[in-house]
Amino acid sequence: MKLQYNPRQYWLIGPVLLTTLYLPSAVAEVKLNGFASIRGTSVSSDGGLPPYPGYEEGELSFKTESLFAIQASADLSEGLSATVQLYGDGLNDFEVDARWAYFSYQLNDTHRISGGRFANPIFHQSEYEKVGYAHNFSRLPKAVYIGLDFSTIEGIALDSQFNIGDYNLQTKVLYGGWTGEVFSAVTNTTVGFGLDNIMSANATLAGDWWQVFGGVFAAEIDGATIDSTTVFPLAAGGIALATANGATAAQIADFRSRIGWDEKDAFYWFSGFAIDYSNWLVDFEYVSYEVKESTDVLNNSWYLALGHRFDNVVVTIHTEDYAQDPDFGYLNGVTHPVLQATGRGITSAFGQREFDGMGLSVRYDFHPSAAFKADYFKGTDTRSTVGDYQLFSFGIDLVF
Amino acid sequence: MKNRILLFSTLLTTLCSPLVFAEVAVIVHPSNNNALDASSVAKIYLGREKSFADGQSVVPMSMVETAPSSASFNDVVLKKSASQLKAYWSKLVFTGKGTPPKELATEEEMLKLVAGNPNLIGFVDASKVDATVKVVFKF
Repeated sequence: MKLQYNPRQYWLIGPVLLTTLYLPSAVAEVKLNGFASIRGTSVSSDGGLPPYPGYEEGELSFKTESLFAIQASADLSEGLSATVQLYGDGLNDFEVDARWAYFSYQLNDTHRISGGRFANPIFHQSEYEKVGYAHNFSRLPKAVYIGLDFSTIEGIALDSQFNIGDYNLQTKVLYGGWTGEVFSAVTNTTVGFGLDNIMSANATLAGDWWQVFGGVFAAEIDGATIDSTTVFPLAAGGIALATANGATAAQIADFRSRIGWDEKDAFYWFSGFAIDYSNWLVDFEYVSYEVKESTDVLNNSWYLALGHRFDNVVVTIHTEDYAQDPDFGYLNGVTHPVLQATGRGITSAFGQREFDGMGLSVRYDFHPSAAFKADYFKGTDTRSTVGDYQLFSFGIDLVF
Repeated sequence: MKNRILLFSTLLTTLCSPLVFAEVAVIVHPSNNNALDASSVAKIYLGREKSFADGQSVVPMSMVETAPSSASFNDVVLKKSASQLKAYWSKLVFTGKGTPPKELATEEEMLKLVAGNPNLIGFVDASKVDATVKVVFKF
């Protein structure tokens, strides 16, 4: 899961860090903010493996979902600012990374442009996914916020804000790239991966007590490593069998180009709504994503939450569904039956993981900067190594 | 018995009385002639509006959250508790989309700053208002 920094990232993080942390106070006002979560999490499953990578099955862990971050933001005046966020979490042994490092320039009251390393708004709450205090869950529903590894990217972004009568419209457009590792449910390991030419756009329209939102995210896959370590090894047996049964070199080459992910297009979109009316809270988000024309599987996932605020206590129940919909259209034109069956087998392997469940969460704001949260979640994972599972957690989310 | 009745009635009166907040005044520089209501002030304090109606940029100033006027302002104008407001700003601060209004420790400091800068807007206990600032509205 650990990001692999490339020279471009070092080149970027260094100047922003220096600007943010070492500017003389006479030149810039530096603001320090931070957030942290200290959470004990217990997971148990019928199959014996944890439902989510990095979680420890069968024991109470205070490491898995604990994290901290400190953010320094230097106001350089005239609308220019530099921000760096140092972040560490238990899933990565609390190794501290410069999760964000970017410059921003407020062009006018409506538009702000940013450049550097910042959060990738894959879905509606992705940008503040780690800030537990900002939402009422112990963790955002995993069916949607499953922990996609490219949550931080390098690029440029334009944030805009418009007032339309009594409504507020916020938009964001972004261009960037990412290199790192992703979790493969097929091999149960992380493998090298990259996203080039990321283009993203999203919008949120809000009234006093409601908001509707949606967004898209497209990128070109840099998937040579996942192809060589996961996709092609899965196909090796089938290709050998097809070759023994008369498949030509041209058919094999065509098949490999079809099943591979490298240079294919990834496409993500999300939409949903949120309501906060008379202390009743409703949240819904639906997401869909896939690597097009490859062995990857179309993912259609969603969650629906209903909550009620009792003064400084919020009780939330939610249901979530992580579903995969195999599309074998990329095999149209593959005439050799063994290759056809091999392709279908790989796609089915990538689509093997589905889960759903229901959860109950309680948030208690016992301090102006801290919330105690506890939750219980019961779900079912289609992998036999997981099966039915339960999760219980309690802990504190802080902001400062 | 008489004492018990007195105690009970006192307790009942205390519990049933609505909480009484001191009146709070939203204030601007005396030269500021923009019309402002609770809704437009809320937009300014939630970072959704960055200018007055006349185009002049606006900088909202807040009181520390322990100040009685702050709790009243959050409740009546922003319609949020202190925790809700902090969660709201957490989303913006940690996504680089905004920073909350600067918090001042005393109302004297608020009056002094607003009186000296046409771009500022603030709020204070209405009893503290003097001629150096202009009251937009009270609640």
